[in-house]
Amino acid sequence: MNAITPMRWYTAWWNRLFFWIAHKRPATTAGLITLSLIHYARWVIIMPDQFPRFPDQPREDVKYAYMIFFSNFNGSWNQYVDSFSSAIPGGLDLFWFGSIKYPKSVPMLPFHRYITSNQIWTDYYYNAYPMASSNDVKSAKRVKDSLLSFIADSQNFNSDEFLQKYNRLLIDLQHDLSQMGPNPVVSLSASAVERNLSKEGVARRQLSD
Amino acid sequence: MSFEVTTGGVDLDDIQGSVVKAYGRYGLIVARYVFFHVEVPVAGRKFVEDILPLVTRGIPWNDPSFIPRVATNIGFTYEGLRHLDIPEVTLHGFPEAFSMGMKARREIIGDTGPSLFHRWDPVWNNRDDTTQHVHIMVTIDGKEEQDLESRYQEIRQILAANPGVSQLEGHRGADGDNLQYQPAAAILPSKDNLGYPGGKEHFGYSDGITTTFFEGCGEDKNLVIGGGKPTGGDPHSAAGWAPLATGEFILGHPDEAFEYPEAPGPPLFSRNGTFMAYRKLHQNVGSFNAYLNDEGGKFPDGKEALAAKFAGRWRNGAPLVSFPTEKSANEFIMELARLQKKVWADSASSEEKNRFAELSLQLVAFDYSGDTSGAKCPFGSHMRRTNPRSALEFGKRNAFDVPGALSNRRRILRRGLPYGRVVDPTRDDGDHGVIMLIANADLSRQFEFVQQQWMNYGNDFGLANDPDPLLGNHGTNEGRVGGGRMIIEGDVVTNKPPYFCNRIPTLVETRGGDYFFVPSLTCLRMIALGIIDPT
Amino acid sequence: MANKSGNAYALTVLCPIRNGVPPGAPPGGQSYTALLRNQLQTLHVNEESPMAKVPNNYLCRFWVLSDVPYQGKPAFREHLKSDYLVFSSNFYGELEPYLEGMWKALEAGIRAILEHCFGGETVTNAKSFIEYIKKCQVTTTFFFNGSTDEPLAQQLKNLYLKQELSKFAFENQGKSAPELQAAFREFVQRTQPANLSGPTWAAGAYHLDRVVE
Repeated sequence: MNAITPMRWYTAWWNRLFFWIAHKRPATTAGLITLSLIHYARWVIIMPDQFPRFPDQPREDVKYAYMIFFSNFNGSWNQYVDSFSSAIPGGLDLFWFGSIKYPKSVPMLPFHRYITSNQIWTDYYYNAYPMASSNDVKSAKRVKDSLLSFIADSQNFNSDEFLQKYNRLLIDLQHDLSQMGPNPVVSLSASAVERNLSKEGVARRQLSD
Repeated sequence: MSFEVTTGGVDLDDIQGSVVKAYGRYGLIVARYVFFHVEVPVAGRKFVEDILPLVTRGIPWNDPSFIPRVATNIGFTYEGLRHLDIPEVTLHGFPEAFSMGMKARREIIGDTGPSLFHRWDPVWNNRDDTTQHVHIMVTIDGKEEQDLESRYQEIRQILAANPGVSQLEGHRGADGDNLQYQPAAAILPSKDNLGYPGGKEHFGYSDGITTTFFEGCGEDKNLVIGGGKPTGGDPHSAAGWAPLATGEFILGHPDEAFEYPEAPGPPLFSRNGTFMAYRKLHQNVGSFNAYLNDEGGKFPDGKEALAAKFAGRWRNGAPLVSFPTEKSANEFIMELARLQKKVWADSASSEEKNRFAELSLQLVAFDYSGDTSGAKCPFGSHMRRTNPRSALEFGKRNAFDVPGALSNRRRILRRGLPYGRVVDPTRDDGDHGVIMLIANADLSRQFEFVQQQWMNYGNDFGLANDPDPLLGNHGTNEGRVGGGRMIIEGDVVTNKPPYFCNRIPTLVETRGGDYFFVPSLTCLRMIALGIIDPT
Repeated sequence: MANKSGNAYALTVLCPIRNGVPPGAPPGGQSYTALLRNQLQTLHVNEESPMAKVPNNYLCRFWVLSDVPYQGKPAFREHLKSDYLVFSSNFYGELEPYLEGMWKALEAGIRAILEHCFGGETVTNAKSFIEYIKKCQVTTTFFFNGSTDEPLAQQLKNLYLKQELSKFAFENQGKSAPELQAAFREFVQRTQPANLSGPTWAAGAYHLDRVVE
């Protein structure tokens, strides 16, 4: 999900300050962390004079600053907008308060419409582990850490000791051992696009073809 | 039994009774679901007009004298509304889940593999023959079979008077029968069963224990405990619960996001209406019993405990999180049943009446804050998935704006009854299952979300791709073996290791259904008269 | 530095796309932007994605910013003079090694894309590529990392181990202590938990039967 919203450049300064504070105070992100469904989220404020420019390129002369929002999580924005709006409305407002005509994050429908009307289509997406949610990635680290410790500790166990300690390992990892696989269909349109593209006529290619 | 009720500004007289009431609780324990096709719009509208006087409203039945012997309600598919000449603008205002219809949503809700539509009852499977498409659902709920039959005959007469409407057959019954309607009936425990006195379903679980409670629903106000949304207060008392916003279930009222849910215009058309999914869910009784016997034989705490871990309640109805052992669950239910008998026979002392009220509360007044490791009630159990209460805070108080932030918008009203009868408990192919009716203001945000993210996936619970053990799609079974898995948590305190349940077969399969709009009484009148003007 | 969260880096790059159509294009020919979009939309995906070859690349996306959105009165209406290719990437480590790794794996493809962009002609080697990207980079104001910040190879190995240990636990339930211990030793030999170049999950894989490499 990518969205771009304009902001008055002087409000953008305040917004950047709030983001800086959020960055320094872990409590601000506590809600986001507990939500745990986000792989990555980022906000990028581009001041009017910060658009990259090369010699033969016309100079931009926009008056607004622009904030770009990128998010990656399992599921679709449509499905989870309710979760964000219900769980962390204050946080969302902090991030978007400076955007022009931003309705607050509650009620949900105007917020949802605002974001989706400013949404931009992703032309290409790559994820190194499309079958893993962010929960899975975090969980896998726990498995690896515990497994390596266990292997080191259990080198010289007799089999009874081994069984006992193995069971202990399983208890520690009981919420980390569910198996992964392809994710639920995010939206019928997305899966239709995927199917249509893979039908004859649109061959996939490498970058330099 | 009279009870106190506050309607909170909701005009229950305008809302259909099937939405706000689980009729089974009021003794209407048998039902027929009848489906019609409208070939001629004028006839369809006249049919609606003729049925209107029979349609049961949602007024509270807080006195036994208010309870009728039979109730009737009506709903329409998107195509049905189109065939009744509802204006195009109004039709376009419906959300896509409803306008596509349930069959087209199969990839989202997991009606694939064993639940794919080609195995559905013929009544739902006439894509190519447009004269057989389902347009209207009429539900008849009654105390006894004869109550159903006389109402059914009244409706048949209305049908006869309106030849542009036809009744659709094609409901599969026992022995391959082709029925004119779908029958359903509560399964009441046998007289000597000292279990929870409510209804059962075909796997043997007590069902229909919690009432989803919303502002203005017209139910006994004590039912908010356990049925509403968590406040963060003590869940064992009223302080822990508040009614859910009306708009989560009824259009035209504020919902949990402090706005009216999206609805087609004009406002008068949608107001007091709602959406209802009808799903015929076949139960693989033989596979369930076989799995329970086999795996239950290996599971350290035994077969009943395994069944409890799957569901989140013991089969006798006791919630697992409050009664973690079979012994405590049995003692609780036996005491409850004993007291109930006395209360109903009017032979209970006032102390016993109080004790009965207290124990009844324990069936529903709980949350999972005392079980953050899942040692008592697994994270992946059916009940904890379908209604997590405040568990999605994962023990971090005040992580979210409100404790139920991730679940308050995912609640549904469960209606409907079991159908069929188990003749041979070792077979899957008998006629037995449940007719699930699910009411909510937003199909995709509520029913479909729960179905896709919580029933057929496990990420929100930290369970990767694990589906719900009972309702999850575990793929097409090979014999009795399926692809389902569940890790039943052990106990950190007692060093009990987790138990790995493997090869769980698909236990529940979809055999038909669709999405219906259940209009208010006002809207029904407008549909009948053909006077909807969205301009 | 807001671009980083622990060891994870959030790179946001806006490459200005040349205006109009390439020289020598037929009348009514496709613009640089259209050509670029076509390229991007038909690239291989999942494990065959060119981006899978870039070391430590967790997740990335490309999209085209054609213009800024108008919010309606009283907001004013304004326009960008060029389109921008937006590249956003989350990866492990520092920027320069990442970009060097990308150049090494995808030089020809990068050149093909940058042909469409202003300043693209200055990119002839890794060093000039890094300079170019830095010029096009915009600072991430706030980066929330909900994942871990280990190297990609480690994350993939972790996922592999999670999946394999799960299968092991299911298959070996109820075995006697000696049997279990023996089975576990075999498991360790097969999966090589400490060896990142041993069996692991393939970057970008989306099917269970193709994920282990």
